Formats: sequence, structure tokens, C-alpha cells
Amino acid sequence: MEAINSSVNLDALNKAIDEVFYGEIDSTILYYLQSCVNCKACEAACPFTPTSLKYSPVNKAEVSRELYRYRFTVWGRTVGRFVGGSKKYLSLSEAETMFDYNWHCTNCGACMFVCPMGIDSGALINLMKEAAFKAGMVPKVYSDIANLEVSGNYWEIDVFRQAWNSLISKMKEAVGEVPLDKKGSEILFYASLYEAFVYPEVLINVAKILTKLKKDWTFMSKPLGVRPPIGMVLGDKDGALNVMKRVYNYFTDISPKYIVMTAGGFEYLSLKYTMHETFKVKPKYQVVHITEFLAKLYTEGEFEIEPIDKVITWHDPCQLGRRGGVYEAPRILLKALSKKFKELPSHGVNSFCCSRGGGGCGVPTLVENLAKMLNISISQEDKKFLDNTLLPLINAGEIKADEVKKIKAKEVATGCPVCIESIEFSLNYYHVDSDVLHIINLLTDNIKVRNK
Amino acid sequence: MQLFLGPYQVGNSLYPLALDLFIPTIFFFFFGSAYRVGRYLMTYKKPFVAVPIASQEVVRGKISSIERVKSLVDTFSNSSKVGLKRKPVTTTAGLLMHLGLVVMIFLLAQHMVFWAYYLPPYRVLFPLAIPESSTDGLLSLTMSTFPRTPTPYPFVHDIWGPLTVILNGQYISFLLLVLLGIYLGHKFHAFADGLSLRAGDWWFFLLLYVDIVLGLLATSHIPNNVVWYDNLLGGHILLAEIIIATLPFTRGFHMFEFYLGKIREWYFMLYRRGEK
Ligand code: SF4
Ligand code: SF4
Repeated sequence: MEAINSSVNLDALNKAIDEVFYGEIDSTILYYLQSCVNCKACEAACPFTPTSLKYSPVNKAEVSRELYRYRFTVWGRTVGRFVGGSKKYLSLSEAETMFDYNWHCTNCGACMFVCPMGIDSGALINLMKEAAFKAGMVPKVYSDIANLEVSGNYWEIDVFRQAWNSLISKMKEAVGEVPLDKKGSEILFYASLYEAFVYPEVLINVAKILTKLKKDWTFMSKPLGVRPPIGMVLGDKDGALNVMKRVYNYFTDISPKYIVMTAGGFEYLSLKYTMHETFKVKPKYQVVHITEFLAKLYTEGEFEIEPIDKVITWHDPCQLGRRGGVYEAPRILLKALSKKFKELPSHGVNSFCCSRGGGGCGVPTLVENLAKMLNISISQEDKKFLDNTLLPLINAGEIKADEVKKIKAKEVATGCPVCIESIEFSLNYYHVDSDVLHIINLLTDNIKVRNK
Repeated sequence: MQLFLGPYQVGNSLYPLALDLFIPTIFFFFFGSAYRVGRYLMTYKKPFVAVPIASQEVVRGKISSIERVKSLVDTFSNSSKVGLKRKPVTTTAGLLMHLGLVVMIFLLAQHMVFWAYYLPPYRVLFPLAIPESSTDGLLSLTMSTFPRTPTPYPFVHDIWGPLTVILNGQYISFLLLVLLGIYLGHKFHAFADGLSLRAGDWWFFLLLYVDIVLGLLATSHIPNNVVWYDNLLGGHILLAEIIIATLPFTRGFHMFEFYLGKIREWYFMLYRRGEK
């Protein structure tokens, strides 16, 4: 892919490949590498196969299998070198292909649940993403944004400060007092800068709900990053680790009972599981998505939901649902909201990924706008890269748009900022007369607190 | 030239050679399996479970036994369910092929006798045996699909009754050849499209294909000559031995790892979320 042509350093890549393959293969990765039967069942699940079969999970993961075979199998060391299927390192064109494949995977996990062998091809593609990052093969616009987060310099940027401060002001207008960084609160309402940018109204609505429910909550006086830990989607493990340290320190400092977030993308998984597993700590608090938290309160009878008369549905964000296991909570809330709740044809573990997340990190125009605001210049290569991410969005979007049309849903609720952007793009592109919105925006006005 | 190996004149027929090599094959298989499993053990790192699902009061902390079983069934069936919806041809071919292979390998009467010779308790399954042909007493390729037997019995005496019309060695062999043909066609298609193809794909499928043809020819007595019969049967067993011996190094090992993979997936669904 063009975005890296001028900057591929093959020596650095070779070194990175050795580091990743000799350093990170454990029994799970070994299982993924050697147990694939090449049945190609996973093609059916991946949001990138509608664009090309070369983007099928098994085809993308084959790059890491070839590098693995050379290093860890007798066949790969001997016959495989001559008949194919085994490689010590990648040539320039192979490195470009690998880079292209890396950015055609959202690590959505859909392939794992469709694979008869339970292989997570996303994990293997992630290995390559890590190697690529170590070798500097990453779209510059993303690494610039990630660097702001890792270094902590994001807070020096006016536009970020303004966005955050304006969010807090609007929250205050909506609910009166907004407690900030209050230690020992029952609930820490966690959000990132990214959310403050793309859906401030959702965050304000959460503040309204928490206030309405008379909860002991607190918000953050300043965000902990752009979208922490953004390194996770770029293959930057070390950067992600640094940012997670910052987040963990803040969480333990506030020491709440619940940490409630509205984003059900990679941050949910990273901050709930990966962060604590990496630091080998058992948290005293629970990190929860807002739907989990509200479903708990609803089932405990703290509030009622005033019903609406509309066909509504739920798009399961991949990280929240497939990887995080949160399926029931949003359904409890939405079924209470409308008797006309309908499931999308692909839902639950088979929910069809919107094709963003790690697969382009958002709708390209949004990334460009963000870069402009931050004064990050977009090179020709990055521009081409971003433009190339549009086609998979259009192709995967067609499937999502058809599904929404099929069940005639008026409102598509979901729980992840990137899902909202990309599904909105698809519904507009295919002229589907439905709206997509964060579940909080559907619920806020219909939550009626019960008099105790 | 005749080679003397044990009591057999190996040069005369492949059959005794194949029988002699069965035990070494099994040893080789166990050696390979130990190697494969050993690699898993050597790379195993005990995971640190920071957030066990059971500790989470707001997610599915408590799961009933019924839900657990349902989830297990879903885990095993999801691949087929999605495949049938989105890739109906290859999924149907794949499922039928696996079913056909299991029935053939474990229930064909001739195979059962072979297994029971080495593993006597296998005899308990004898009542489930399927015959080589649906017609009684006639080992004929052309008489395989409907009863045209001179005996008073319309079908072979087995518990399958009229089902014997499809549950017989010849019919399933034809079916397998067609299904494997579809699979091989799928591989050629992938090859033409420049998609991932592995030497192991050809190794396994071609060996299986030829092995089925040899078995079919031998049991159908084509050509009808005892020397040919011994060689065809010997060749059939030898190929099967190559497949068995190399299983731990090929995709064939999925017949064991399949269960490992799915149970692992189920465990993650119910007990441990996050990174897999
Ligand atoms: S479905 Fe699983 S076993 Fe089949 S090709 Fe894909 S990763 Fe390999
Ligand atoms: S994790 Fe998702 S995007 Fe990546 S290969 Fe698998 S199905 Fe495709």
C-alpha cells in the first residue's frame, strides 16, 4: 500500500519480525498458527471479504504462518523454503502486502466464532501489526495522534482543552454541579477526548441520568488520552502500556466502585481486562459499559423506562459483545423501551462488524478533520491510505444497510462511537431511512426514576 | 526381486507388508502426537485472570447449567450455522464429507473387523456395522444402489434396514469422491485466485482421494483377480497408514484439536473474557 512505500526499512522490519516471533509465541498463538485447516470458513465472517477474498482472515494470517513455519517447523526449515509456505523475512512487496492486510482487520473476532477450530486470525494479524509498528510502518497521521497520547502532550493542544472544557461546561448547564476527580465516589464516569469530540451530547446525557438517579458520581477534570490506549490498535504495545499506567493510576487514585464508560470499542476490553492482566492486578472496582450499569439498576427496580412505539434494533459492537460478552444488558434496556425491538439478522457472536475500529480507525473524513484541527499535515501517502479505507466501509456497509432495511428498524442503537460513525455512513450511502445513535440518546428522556 | 521380511514374501503383494507396518505406524503416530502436544506444553504460560467473569456482578456473573449446556451446543454448531447461511455449497460439502468419512472409517464392516483385531472392545459396535454394498452377497459395483438380490432378503441383514441403500460402503465412497472433488475444485479455485494454499492441503486431500479409490476398487473386486485384490487392498492400507503416521504433522490432526479449540472457545465465552 502506498502509505509506506517511501519509508520501509527492511532491516528494521526483519529485526522486528524476529523480536515478535521469538518473543511472543505462547501456546495459544501456537495453536492458532498450526491448527488451521485452510477450510476458509472464516471468509464468511470477515467484514473485509466483500471487498476481496485476499482480505479473508486465513489469507491475511498466512503471512504470520509463513514466518512462523520458517522459525518453528522442520518442514518450514527444509522443504517449505523451496515449495513455498515458509519465509525467513519479507521482501519489499511482501512487506507492503502485509501492511495492507494489517489495515484490513479490525480485530473484531468474528472469524474466531465461525472458524471450526476456534482460531482468532485477528490475533495473528496483530502480531504483524506489532512487527510493522516496531519497524515504523504505520500511517503517519495515526502515529502522530498516538504520540500525542503517549507523551501526554495532548493536553497542551488548545482544541483538545477547549473541547473538554466545553463538555464540562455543557454538563454543568444540564445538571448543575459536576463533581470532578472526587476520590471515593461510587461511580467514576470515564470518557476519552475522542468521545468528547464525536458525541458530547451522549456524555452529557449520561451525566443527566446519573444525576437523575441521584448517584454519587464523579467526572474527569482532564482526559487521560485521545482514546486510551490507542496504541492497542496501532500495534504499539509499549505506548499502550505507558498510557495504561496513567489510566490505572487514575482509577486507583479515585478508587470508585464502578467505572462507567459509554464506549464499547477496544477501550472497553483494554481497560477492563488487558490493563489489569498486563499489570497482574485484580482491580477492586468494576469497569462497566453504561448498558451493563443501567441494566443492573433497571432490573433492581431503580427506574422505569417509558416505552416508545418504534421498531428499534441493537448493533453489537464487536469488542463489547463478541470479545466482552455484553449481549444481554442492552437488550434488557431496549426491550423495555420498545415492544417492537427486533434483532438484526446477524447479531450476538455473529454480529457483522462495521469494518472500522482497527481497520482504518474511523471514517476517513473524520480522521482528516481531526488531523486538520490538530495541525497534523496529511501526506500524499496518508491521503491515499485513508482513501483506500473507504471501499471496505462501503462494501461491508451494504450488508449492514441491507440488514437494517430487512427488519425495517427506525432506530439502530449501539454503544460505540466508531460503530455509530461507520453505520451512519453506510445508512446514508445506501439511502436507508433509519437513524443510528448511541443507546443513551434513545433512553435518556424515557428513564423515569421510581419513588422509593 | 522378492524381499523377505518376517514370514511374508513382500515382493508378492502389498497386503502383508501393509499389515506388518500397522503397529510401527501407530508408534509413529504417538511419537508425532507427543511432539505436537509437547510443543504446547513448552510454550504454555499460566494466564493471570484479573477479572474472572464470576466476580462481575453487572455482567453475566451467574450462569445456569442449562445456559452452559446451550452455550456449549452453540459453540460447536455456530460454524456450520453461519457457513450454511453464507457459504452453503462448501459448507454442505464439508459437513457431508466429514459425516461420510466418520461413518466409513468407523462403521464399515471391513474396517470394524480391522479395528477390533487390534482393539477387541471395539466389537461392541459391531451391530452398527454398515455393509460394503446394499445388496446381499453380491459384491458388485453395478448393483449397489437398489436391491436386486437373488436372496429372499431385500437388503443386507443389518440394523439399518432400508437405510442401507445409502448407508453402504460403495454409495458413501461415491459420495466422498464427489465431495472431495468439490473440495479439490475449491482448492484449484483458490490457487487460481492466488489465495493461501498449502502443500499440506494437497498432501492430505490427494492421499485421501486415492485411498478411497483403492478401497473401492479392492472391495468391488475390480479387476476381478486375487493378485490385484491383495495389492489394491495393501495399497489402500498403506496409504491409510501414511495418513495416520503423518496426522500429527498435518491438518489431519484437527480431528483431535477441533474439540480442544471449541472447548477453549466455550470456556472463554463463559468464564474468562478479554484477550484470548
Ligand atoms: S476457518 Fe479457521 S481453520 Fe478454516 S481457514 Fe479460517 S482460520 Fe483456518
Ligand atoms: S478479526 Fe475480524 S476483521 Fe480481522 S480477520 Fe477476523 S473477521 Fe476479519
